[in-house]
Amino acid sequence: MIRRILFNLMAWGIVLAVAFPLFWMLVTSVKPQFELFRRPPTMLPETVTFEHYWRLISQTNFLTYFRNSVVLSLSTTFVVVGIATLGAYSLVRFRYRGRESLAFLVLFTYLLPSVVLIIPLYLMLVSLGLSNTIFSLVIAYTTFALPYALWLLRSFMAGIPEDLESAALVDGASRLGAFKDVILPQLLPGIISTALFTFILSWNEYLYALVLVNSDSARPLTTGVMNMLISSFNIEWSLLMAASVMMSVPLIIVFAFLQSYLTRGFGAGGVKG
Amino acid sequence: MADVLFSNVRKAFGSFVAVDDLNLSIEQGEFVSLLGPSGCGKTTTLRMLAGLEFPTSGEIRIGDRVVNDVEPGKRDIAMVFQSYALYPHMTVGKNIAYPLKKRGVPRAEREQMVAKAAEMLQLTPLLDRKPRQLSGGQQQRVALGRALVRDPKVFLLDEPLSNLDAKLRGYMRAELVELHARLGRTMVYVTHDQLEAMTMSDRIAIMLDGKLQQFAPPQEVYRAPANRFVAGFIGTPSMNLMDGALRQEGGVWVFEAPGLSLTVDALSDAAQAGPAALGARPEHVTLGAGPLRGVVQVVEQTGHENIVTVRLTDEIRLIGRLPGTQHLRMGETIAVGIDAQACHIFGPGASGTRLNLDELAMSERRAQAAR
Repeated sequence: MIRRILFNLMAWGIVLAVAFPLFWMLVTSVKPQFELFRRPPTMLPETVTFEHYWRLISQTNFLTYFRNSVVLSLSTTFVVVGIATLGAYSLVRFRYRGRESLAFLVLFTYLLPSVVLIIPLYLMLVSLGLSNTIFSLVIAYTTFALPYALWLLRSFMAGIPEDLESAALVDGASRLGAFKDVILPQLLPGIISTALFTFILSWNEYLYALVLVNSDSARPLTTGVMNMLISSFNIEWSLLMAASVMMSVPLIIVFAFLQSYLTRGFGAGGVKG
Repeated sequence: MADVLFSNVRKAFGSFVAVDDLNLSIEQGEFVSLLGPSGCGKTTTLRMLAGLEFPTSGEIRIGDRVVNDVEPGKRDIAMVFQSYALYPHMTVGKNIAYPLKKRGVPRAEREQMVAKAAEMLQLTPLLDRKPRQLSGGQQQRVALGRALVRDPKVFLLDEPLSNLDAKLRGYMRAELVELHARLGRTMVYVTHDQLEAMTMSDRIAIMLDGKLQQFAPPQEVYRAPANRFVAGFIGTPSMNLMDGALRQEGGVWVFEAPGLSLTVDALSDAAQAGPAALGARPEHVTLGAGPLRGVVQVVEQTGHENIVTVRLTDEIRLIGRLPGTQHLRMGETIAVGIDAQACHIFGPGASGTRLNLDELAMSERRAQAAR
């Protein structure tokens, strides 16, 4: 009994510690300016206002940054998931020389700290004439999201029985047909978790965005908001909180929709033994 | 005409030779089992026939077509996998319809054919279920349904019954035999269970270490095993095998092992004096009569018969059969005899060739003696 109470207390403690900053972010974003720095602070806003949101949308570049972030994250996700799915298929299903070492080599690139890679990558992108574009960030994010995605999907792929594919081949499917009809549906949970991982990674990335892009038209949310609202003299707290709320919303929506996919036991029962 | 033909087929994975110089000719409508212990190359052989593996050298024909480079889907075969390999995200109906869909059969016709196959296998009430909602036996029938829905030229079955419990397995064995009779199609069946192979096949191909040991009807495999391996592999309880030596004595062959000496007849010209092995099926061991003495060690009761292990010497143990009504006590000393006429003599080594004359040569020799 006491153990259960203790356990519950602990759990709620952790929940509070995680949730309070989010709650405070939300509350601050709807407080009027004069209420922000009142002492003692008000837990719930006395008057609720959406003026900060309005200002953010109408008077700043926020929407441009937002669009950039969406384009950037979606493109990165598509590129990474596309390459990783096919790559994982190859690494699991085909036998060729150096297959294992190739897989480890890929993982090795993931182990390098990104700070080490940033200068060479920047120089390469400049000589390719791609610097200062959203596309350069897609490439950069792909370089560090792909190895992990490949390994993640590789283990998912290895869990799909080879017999399923053989059966499809015997049933008259081409290799690509078998991949589409049988492998992909089985791989869906893996693809979704990889896509989520990549999307969140590119949505939240800051360092590369800071170094590789410095024109307002190509900036994503992370560096854009920072640049716009935090200067050495002043931090626009209420705008910053409103921006943070709006940055979190897409992730929350994506998670809400996909978390059931992540946990669903998809492949159970297809193959016995 | 041969429906399936393997000519000098060899398959190597790196330095490991899975199938070595295989020659096999399977007739139209025949039920052939590929039998052997795990790792003997039987599954590799089947997968080569399916087009899932490609032979390193040699030729495989289905009908009058060389299929070495033909994709699995274009070989006009259907396969049932040991794991069933049902598509988990498709309903039973869609699973069965998949091969038809891939061949561009129009929807209406497809539904008709699926309904027919489902009826034949009593799957009609299950058509809308997903594979994971089915029992093992039902999944197995779906896998069969997916194979027979499009009436292929050759059926390939890879240990399809090994995941079922014993009772269901017996039932499905009979079902498969009946199905084969009804469809009249060539079936190639991989199994490591000699009982399955014996009860279902027209002919059995027994393999060991990638090599074909014998390809013959079940009765022949049982009565005239090609070599010591086949002799020991086929039959339950398995054949009594004793190592000893052959010696010629006044024109007759005598087999000798410590504590045992037996005059054996009718050996082929390949017989040589020296190390050899004697094989006697349990039904050819007489318990309670004979020149030998032994101590009853184990009595296994199966109901209609008792399987008795008798120790002759420290090295030699014999297994014999007794009717279920006849009892022996453990530790009892009894007389034991071996029917020398029914014994097999094998050359030296674990897979020594059988040296007995075949029945044709034997009758010729008898005729000669009569003259």
